[in-house]
Amino acid sequence: MNKIVLRLLNVREVPVFVALLLVLTVTEIANPHFISKSGAQDLFLGVAVIATLSVGQTFVITMRHVDLSVGSTAGFTAYMIGRVSGYHHGLIFCLLVALAIGLIVGACNGFLVAYLKLPSLVVTLSSLWIVRGIFNQIVSGNTITDNQVPNSLGYLGRHSFLDIPYVFIVALVLVLVASFVMRNLRPARDLYAMGSNPPASALAGIPVARRTFFAFLACGAVSGLGGAILLARFHSADSNSGLGLELNVIAACVVGGVAIAGGVGTPYGALLGALLLQSITLALGALGVSQFWQLAVNGALLISAISLDRYLSLRVKPTRILRAT
Amino acid sequence: MKKMSFGWDKGILVFLFLTIIVGSFITPYFANASNMSFVIQDIGEFMLMALPVTFLIIAGEIDLSIGSTVSLSSASIGLSYRHGLPFWLCIIIGPLVGLLCGLINGILVTKFGLQSLAVTIGTLALYRGLCFVLLGNQPVNQMPSSYTDLGSNSIPHTFFPYVSVLIVIFGAIAWFTLHYSRLGRWTYAIGINVEAAKFSGIPVARMKLALFAITGLMAGIAGVVYTFRFASASPDGATGYELSVIASVLFGGVSIAGGVGTIWGVMGAVLELGAIRSVLQLSNVSVNTLLVVSGGLLLLSVAVPRAIEIYRNRRKLVSKS
Repeated sequence: MNKIVLRLLNVREVPVFVALLLVLTVTEIANPHFISKSGAQDLFLGVAVIATLSVGQTFVITMRHVDLSVGSTAGFTAYMIGRVSGYHHGLIFCLLVALAIGLIVGACNGFLVAYLKLPSLVVTLSSLWIVRGIFNQIVSGNTITDNQVPNSLGYLGRHSFLDIPYVFIVALVLVLVASFVMRNLRPARDLYAMGSNPPASALAGIPVARRTFFAFLACGAVSGLGGAILLARFHSADSNSGLGLELNVIAACVVGGVAIAGGVGTPYGALLGALLLQSITLALGALGVSQFWQLAVNGALLISAISLDRYLSLRVKPTRILRAT
Repeated sequence: MKKMSFGWDKGILVFLFLTIIVGSFITPYFANASNMSFVIQDIGEFMLMALPVTFLIIAGEIDLSIGSTVSLSSASIGLSYRHGLPFWLCIIIGPLVGLLCGLINGILVTKFGLQSLAVTIGTLALYRGLCFVLLGNQPVNQMPSSYTDLGSNSIPHTFFPYVSVLIVIFGAIAWFTLHYSRLGRWTYAIGINVEAAKFSGIPVARMKLALFAITGLMAGIAGVVYTFRFASASPDGATGYELSVIASVLFGGVSIAGGVGTIWGVMGAVLELGAIRSVLQLSNVSVNTLLVVSGGLLLLSVAVPRAIEIYRNRRKLVSKS
């Protein structure tokens, strides 16, 4: 029995999942209207964008880097999809434009971090501003309104399959694919090695620079497509789209067990983290707590999540070493 | 002994000088007394926060919660004033709240052994959230103008705003501490190799705790300056200040990897960014260009030293072979 508990504790996503169930149950007991059709929709809609972006972020954080430019990129592409669609181009073309923008930003970040060996925090902080600056220059006060959103994207944002909004399903598919990739494919496994011990992974023959470059490229591509989700979700875009999203994304990753120190974590963990943060926000509302407490509670939750993680990793470490040998 | 990042910090001072000269040629409104006063006022809070953050980053840590701390300090000043406390007491409460915020960060990092980046993203949200809890969404206005005038007026007969007194005092303290005292050398030692620092008897945990606490305190003081300058306290003030402060510290030649940096480089960088912003604004360049320019400068500040390093290494290799 004890062994099973210890093994479960080894799975970093389990505490997050338990916490999520706990929040949902407690709130449901206190307010029986909480788990309902609209409640579930609020939860899934709120999570879709963060979940999408956290996929790319997981790649980057796993190898002990960070990408702060995702919010700017997603906002930029959300606007550009609407803008390009306004010139009567098809959805595929719009998505290609979004993907191209994401890839360009990702390639710039990746090149500077991987080949020039510049610190990712500085590089992506710069690109956060540069992208936002170019974005706002192009926007120059315009707004993408509901009727400029491509029809199929608008449909995704408004309709649901079995009460689960389509935007969340898209995000979920992305998360599952990414989880499979990170579990089974060698290039993605290398990211874990690079995150746990960078010099050792280079000595072990992992092409560190190339992997780093492609991880940032992937993060850029995901952020580019994340713009489509952002547009589908909010049916509008302006110069403030995606502002400050990067910290929410990182928070979801960290709560979901993607350690900022690198080497551990999964995309589905980040999704659970995003769900937990969002469900607590909704639970506070359902419990009648003033909305002003939401941000503070989210912050406190983030801190307790990393403290708990630290505590567990200190306790569980011996068994981990045993298992590895 | 001190590792210079290839003189970037000195380059900043040259940059600053050039900006002022070019600026006064481009627009006649740049180099006059009232604009200079405005520039210094504009960078006041950033300068006060950049000083302790320099120490923190040199020691290999980071604090993303300073913007929220400024706002929380300002909000607690506003709240205590709203509840009828005498204003001089409110002004003491602000920095104390900041100190408390910094202590919490420091304890989480040093006692719990958590990553400062993750912790301070958490406290960024926590402190900002507490601002909303304290004030709701009602800003506090109508502060006594005898105090808030200090935030907007200059010292009589000069163009220096009152905040420059704080900048000079704290700048001198930081400069002396970092470059001429044991505490400064400890800071570098911790940033260069934290294990070696521990083994050589430096109280690493206590030192880091103190650095976080001082950063919080200075953010609290910056909160007072902020409140004076805008003569109000609102829950969403000072948003995004953390990234601007960290960017100007890095722009000043401090390495994010720790162990490298100087106070005059950082002070020059904060002034430089303020001067560039002013020049661009006065020549009617849009805010968006400003964002791109700040981002580009930040990138240059890490890319140029790196390029020089790569170039030198190559030359070394060539001369060896």
